[in-house]
Amino acid sequence: MEEDRDPPEALEDSSAPLGPFDVTEPSRRAFLIRSIAAIGGAITVAIGVPSVVFVTGLARATTGEETWIRLGLVSSIEPGAPPTLMKATVVRRNGYLMEEQGVSVFVTTENGSEFTVLSNICTHLGCRVRWVDEQDGFFCPCHNGVFSRNGDVVSGPPPRPLDRFESKVEEGQLFFKEA
Amino acid sequence: MASRLGNWLDERTGWRGNWTAVFLRKIPRVNWAYTLGSATLFTLIIQVVTGILLTLYYVPEPQQAYASVTYITNEVPFGWMIRGLHHWGASAMVLLAVLHMVRVIIYGAYKYPREVTWITGVFLLLLTFAFGFTGYLLPWDQRAYWATVVGTRIAEVVPVIGGSIKDVLLGGPEISGLTLSRFFGAHVWVLPSVLFLLVGIHLYLVIRNGISTPPKRDE
Repeated sequence: MEEDRDPPEALEDSSAPLGPFDVTEPSRRAFLIRSIAAIGGAITVAIGVPSVVFVTGLARATTGEETWIRLGLVSSIEPGAPPTLMKATVVRRNGYLMEEQGVSVFVTTENGSEFTVLSNICTHLGCRVRWVDEQDGFFCPCHNGVFSRNGDVVSGPPPRPLDRFESKVEEGQLFFKEA
Repeated sequence: MASRLGNWLDERTGWRGNWTAVFLRKIPRVNWAYTLGSATLFTLIIQVVTGILLTLYYVPEPQQAYASVTYITNEVPFGWMIRGLHHWGASAMVLLAVLHMVRVIIYGAYKYPREVTWITGVFLLLLTFAFGFTGYLLPWDQRAYWATVVGTRIAEVVPVIGGSIKDVLLGGPEISGLTLSRFFGAHVWVLPSVLFLLVGIHLYLVIRNGISTPPKRDE
């Protein structure tokens, strides 16, 4: 048929009588628009809510149980000496992976029987601090934070002292627990 | 308030004209078989959303792929649902795309002036199969592994260049971690890029040319 041979002109006939949000008339069109919105909204919620939980759910869950981590022989730490950086390896479960992670802490003792275990993580933005003998303090290279021997803030941006961990000595070995 | 914001935007973007052309266009009196294309598009959107979500946990690496998929299924909250939607959505999309094509064939909707829509549609169907083939390997279990062995051996029977096709598909003489990498890359980057381009052309043509009427008795 001749009329079907003509290229369609759908775009030219787009001046529809009703605007996109004109749903005041209780017409067939208004009913269909409302139905589409309701069904579409229901599907969006049915997939959207689980999606948000899928993304955020595990991030809020805590990973590790607290255990004593062995650092090494207490005899290697001299009373009054500069803080000793001691390293340990812990195995952590991250999702489906068992991952070995290195942990480092600074250990000091004044009398050889009581030990102070300090985190080496700057309380400002998480860079690692190092002990600088000339300054007699911990120095963070990222934003020049300085902490004293016992972890207190001396200068720079850190908001609070270095974290202090619980420790114990058993059979000459020093252990600490991550808080 | 909403209408004032709509006016403000319309004055600056002209969105109402486009909205009308896309969603309020005149269509001939048709039947439910004409919803198959939209249904395919709907499953595509489901696949895109769930597929993007799966990449947040999935790792395309031989030691971790299967473990990460198991983790998604068993431990990530709603992981079973997101993966299930992607798994079943893939089959649904192939099924709906084929039914859509059958409808177009039966009603002769591929004829003038809609030949280009038809051609892009054929390539879209092939792309859908390619998505299915590359996605099938990603869980990296026995079924995935052997399906890819068989699938690439089928490609190998092409005369003269078959062996090269197989090697390019596998990223080497045999299936390996490189195969997993390139199937993942194809599945989430290469194929979607081409698919979105073709879907854009396909939908533009559907709107530009309007949809066909069902053939009449005297045609």
